[in-house]
Amino acid sequence: MKTVIGLEIHAQLLTETKAFCTCEIDVNAKPNTNICPVCTGQPGALPVLNKKAVEFAIMAGLALNCEIHEISSFDRKNYFYPDLPKGYQITQYFHPIATEGYLNLDNGKHVRIRRIHIEEDAGKMVHSSENITESKESLIDFNRCGVPLIEIVTEPDMEKSEEAKEFMEKLRDILRTLGVCSGNMEEGALRCDANVSVVDDNGRSSSRVEVKNINSFRYVQYAIEYEAERISKALKDGKDVKHETRGWNFVTRTTVSLRSKEEENDYRYFPEPDLPILKVSKSQIENIKQNLPELPDQKSERYVKTYGLAKDNANIIAKDKIISAYFEKLVSSKMDPKDSSNWIVNDLLALFNADSVDFNPDKVPIESLKVLMEYTNSGKISRLSAKEILGEIYKNNNNPQDIIKEKNLIQVSDENSLVPVIKKVIENNPSVVEQYKKGKTSVVGFFVGNVMKETKGKADPKVVGDLAKKILDGEIK
Amino acid sequence: MLPNLSVEDLIEQIKSNKVSPEEVTNHFVKKTALIDPKIKSCISTAFVKGKDGILNGIPFMVKDNMEVIGTKTTCASKILENYVSPYTATAVQKLLDAGGTVIAKTNMDEFAMGASTEYSSFFTTKNPWDLQRVPGGSSGGSASAVASGMVPFALGSDTGGSIRQPASFCGIVGYKPTYGLVSRYGLVAFASSLDQIGPLTKNVRDAGLIGNILIGKDPKDSTTVEKQIDLLKNIENSIEGFKMAIPKEFTKGLSDAVKNVLFDAIDNFKKMGVKVDEVSIPSLKYAVAVYYIIAPAEASSNLSRYDGIRYGLSIDGESVDDIYTKTKDEGFGREVKRRIMLGTFTLSATYYDAYFDKAQKVRSKIVDELKQIFNSYDAIIGPTTPGVAFKIGQLSSPLEYYLQDIYTIPANLAGSPAVSLPMGSINGLPIGLQIMSKRFEDEKVLRIGRNYEMIRGKFPLPEVVA
Ligand SMILES: [Zn+2]
Repeated sequence: MKTVIGLEIHAQLLTETKAFCTCEIDVNAKPNTNICPVCTGQPGALPVLNKKAVEFAIMAGLALNCEIHEISSFDRKNYFYPDLPKGYQITQYFHPIATEGYLNLDNGKHVRIRRIHIEEDAGKMVHSSENITESKESLIDFNRCGVPLIEIVTEPDMEKSEEAKEFMEKLRDILRTLGVCSGNMEEGALRCDANVSVVDDNGRSSSRVEVKNINSFRYVQYAIEYEAERISKALKDGKDVKHETRGWNFVTRTTVSLRSKEEENDYRYFPEPDLPILKVSKSQIENIKQNLPELPDQKSERYVKTYGLAKDNANIIAKDKIISAYFEKLVSSKMDPKDSSNWIVNDLLALFNADSVDFNPDKVPIESLKVLMEYTNSGKISRLSAKEILGEIYKNNNNPQDIIKEKNLIQVSDENSLVPVIKKVIENNPSVVEQYKKGKTSVVGFFVGNVMKETKGKADPKVVGDLAKKILDGEIK
Repeated sequence: MLPNLSVEDLIEQIKSNKVSPEEVTNHFVKKTALIDPKIKSCISTAFVKGKDGILNGIPFMVKDNMEVIGTKTTCASKILENYVSPYTATAVQKLLDAGGTVIAKTNMDEFAMGASTEYSSFFTTKNPWDLQRVPGGSSGGSASAVASGMVPFALGSDTGGSIRQPASFCGIVGYKPTYGLVSRYGLVAFASSLDQIGPLTKNVRDAGLIGNILIGKDPKDSTTVEKQIDLLKNIENSIEGFKMAIPKEFTKGLSDAVKNVLFDAIDNFKKMGVKVDEVSIPSLKYAVAVYYIIAPAEASSNLSRYDGIRYGLSIDGESVDDIYTKTKDEGFGREVKRRIMLGTFTLSATYYDAYFDKAQKVRSKIVDELKQIFNSYDAIIGPTTPGVAFKIGQLSSPLEYYLQDIYTIPANLAGSPAVSLPMGSINGLPIGLQIMSKRFEDEKVLRIGRNYEMIRGKFPLPEVVA
C-alpha cells in the first residue's frame, strides 16, 4: 500500500489593505469596522486590484521556482454562503499567475507545485451552535472579507504524512522569509487541505478524499495519517472508499464526512468582467526577482559553506529570518560562527521552545549573549554558570554582569584557591587515586566533577583538570 | 417655454440672467409634480444639489439603478424596494460636481432587464406620445421624463439598447458611450461586460455636453480608460465625404413604413455629400443569440448578492437555504428569474463550452467583422428599433420581446459608441436613427448625429397635458 498526498494551501497575504478595495486589514479590529461598499457586496460596487497582492504572489511564485505568467486573469467562482457577500469569490481559475514550480524536502524529494493563484478571503462566521445548520443564530464579521490570499496547489507527490508536515513547515519558513504571510496556522493565516488516496499493492488506487479544517502543523501529519489508515483499512476490508470531502476534528482526532462528490457545488466559473487582464512585464518580474531575500535553503547552504556550521544547526537558524538575523549580527560582531550557532541552537532557542513561544530577540539582547560568550571563552565564568545566567536573562531581562556579580559566579581559576579544594577531594577518594595510578587517566573527570560540586560550579573545569593531574603526578606538592 | 429648452439653452439663459438657477430648478420640480402622475416616469423624488458649476440650477433624473447617497436605489425590484444607497455613483457625482441637481429616480424594467418598463415591479411608465404605449426600456422612465419636459436631461444605462431604444420610442436623443469611457462604479450591475451609462437628451449637442462631463477614467472602475475626448469640439464640422454602411441584416424584414423613413434618412445623408452603401455583416444574425447567453450569464452572477442576508428584502426561513429561496422567490420578478435561470444553466460545468464559451467566440467574430467594416466606413447606420413604440401588453412572447434589441445589441457586444436620434415618425410616433462607429469614435458618432439633426430640422416634442 502506498499513500498519495497532494496539498492545497491558502496563505493570507500581509498587505496593508484588502485585495479589491482600500479597507485596512487589522485582525484586532472590532467586527465589521474595516468594511466598505466593495467588500460587503453593495449593489454597483466594483473591485480594484491591489498591486501589492500581485507583487507578493509573484514573490511566492519565484521563491517556489514557478513560472510567472506575464498575462493572467481573474474569474468568478459562484456559490451561495452568508460569509460571501457578492455570491461569488474573485479568483484566478482559467489563467493563474504562476504555475509549474517545486519545493525540495530535506530527504531530497522534489514536490512539484501545480499552480499559485490570487484570490480573496471570505468573511468569518460565528454560530450559536456547532455549525450553521444547528444554530438559531449566526453572526458574520466582514473584516476578513476581501483579504488577499494565494492558493498554492501541489501535485500529489508526497507519500508520507511527515513529508506533508515538512512541506508545510518549509513553505511557512519561505513565506515568512519573504514577509508575505505570517505563516500562522492556528490563526488561519495559513490553511492546508490535503488530498489523500491510497494505492494498493496491485496498483489500484482508491478514490481521492479531501481533508479540510487542518489548523496546525502537527495536525497536518495526524490528519493525513488517520485518513490514510482509514482508507487502507477500507481497501483491505474490500469496502468502497467514497470520493468525498472530510473534515479533521482535532478533539476526536478523526475525520468526518462533510459532503460527497454529488453534493459538491458547480461553481460556474467564468471570466470576471469587472477586472481587466492582469499584465506584468518581464522587467517587473525580473525586478522582484532581484530583490528577493535569501531563502532558508540558500542561507543554510551558505552557513555550512562559509561558516562551517553543522547542517542541522544551519537549517534551524536559516529557516527563521529573525533568528538568522540575530545569528549574523553575532558573527559580524566578531563572535565565532560555529560557537554562536551552538549557543543559539542549544541554549538560547531551547529556552523559547520550552515555553512554546516564537523566538524574540528582545528577551535576550545580542549584547548580553555576547558578554556571556566572551566571559565563558576567557574562562571568567563556567559554561554551566553561563547557561544559568542565560535563563535568568530570558526570564527577567537583567544585565548579565549584574547577575554574575549578584550571584558571585565569577569562575575561580587561580591555583592558590583551587589547589586546597582539589587536594581535599583527592584525599577523600583513595580508591580512585589507585585507579589513576594504574593508568586509568580518565578518572581525572571524576575529581573535576567533585571539585565543581564543592565550588558550586564556579571553578574553571579546564584549570581544575590540569591541576588535578599535576597533583596526582606529584608535580604539585 | 422653459420645458422645451435644451440644457445648452438653459445654461445660456441663466448666464445672461434671464432666469435664476433656482427658478429653473423649481420650474422642473413643479412640472414633474404636475405631469408625472400621468406618465409615471419616477419611482421616487429626491433633491440632491451639487456644487457650483456649469450645470448650476439644471435638474436631472437618474435611472433607479444608479446609487445616489441617501436616495432609494430600487432597480424597480421588490428585492431592493427599501434599499438606501450608502454612496454615490461616479457618473452621478460628476454631474453633481458640475452643478447639477438630482430631482428624481426613474422607473425601469427590473434590473434593466426589458425594453418597455412593463417588467418594473412597481408600475409601467407611459409613452408621452401615446399613453397607451410603452416608452421603451429599460431606461423608459428617464426617456419619458425628458420627452415630456420634466427634466432637460436624464441618465440611463444601456446593456443591449436600454438608452437608445426608449430614446427612439420617445423621440429624443440617447447616447451610449464607448465601453470604458464612463465609470460604472455605482451602476447596479446587470451584465458587466456590456453595461454603460449615458445621457438621454433633447438634442445631440446636449448629449455631447453631458457626455463630456461623464467621460473619464475612474480609479474605482478598472474597466475605464483614459482618453482625451471632446465631444463638442468638432461636432459642427461637415461630414461631406463620409461613408456610411447599412447592413443588409438590418434592413431584411423591415416594414415598409420603417423602410420609407430610412430611405428619407439616406436621401438626407446623400444631400450632405455622404456615401451610403449596403453591406453584409453575416455574424450579426447571431448577435441576439449571443447577447441572450452572455447577458443572463453575467446577470446570474451579478444578482447573486441579493440574498436577504445583509440588505434588501429578507424573508425568514428554516435554514439559510430556505431564507435564500424565499427571499429570491418573493423579491425577483418573472423576467429576472427567467434570466437568472438561463445564465445559471449556460454557466454550468456541463454546458459552459456549448453555450457561454461558444458565445464568447461568436462575440469575438462579431467584433472582428465590425472592425472590418469600420476600416472602410465611418459609421454603420440604420433604424434604432424594428418599429415604433408598441402598445402596453402587446408583446407577450419573450422571443418577440427580445427581438426589440436586434439593432442595438451589436454596439454593446463590440463596446462601440452609438447614438439614437429621431429619424422621423410613423403615424405620429417617433422612430430613431442609430449611428454606430468603432470604439472611441464617440466624437464622430455625435458629429454625424448633429449633422443629421441639422438637415432633418427640428423634431417636435409631445404635448402632455396635466
Ligand atoms: Zn472594503
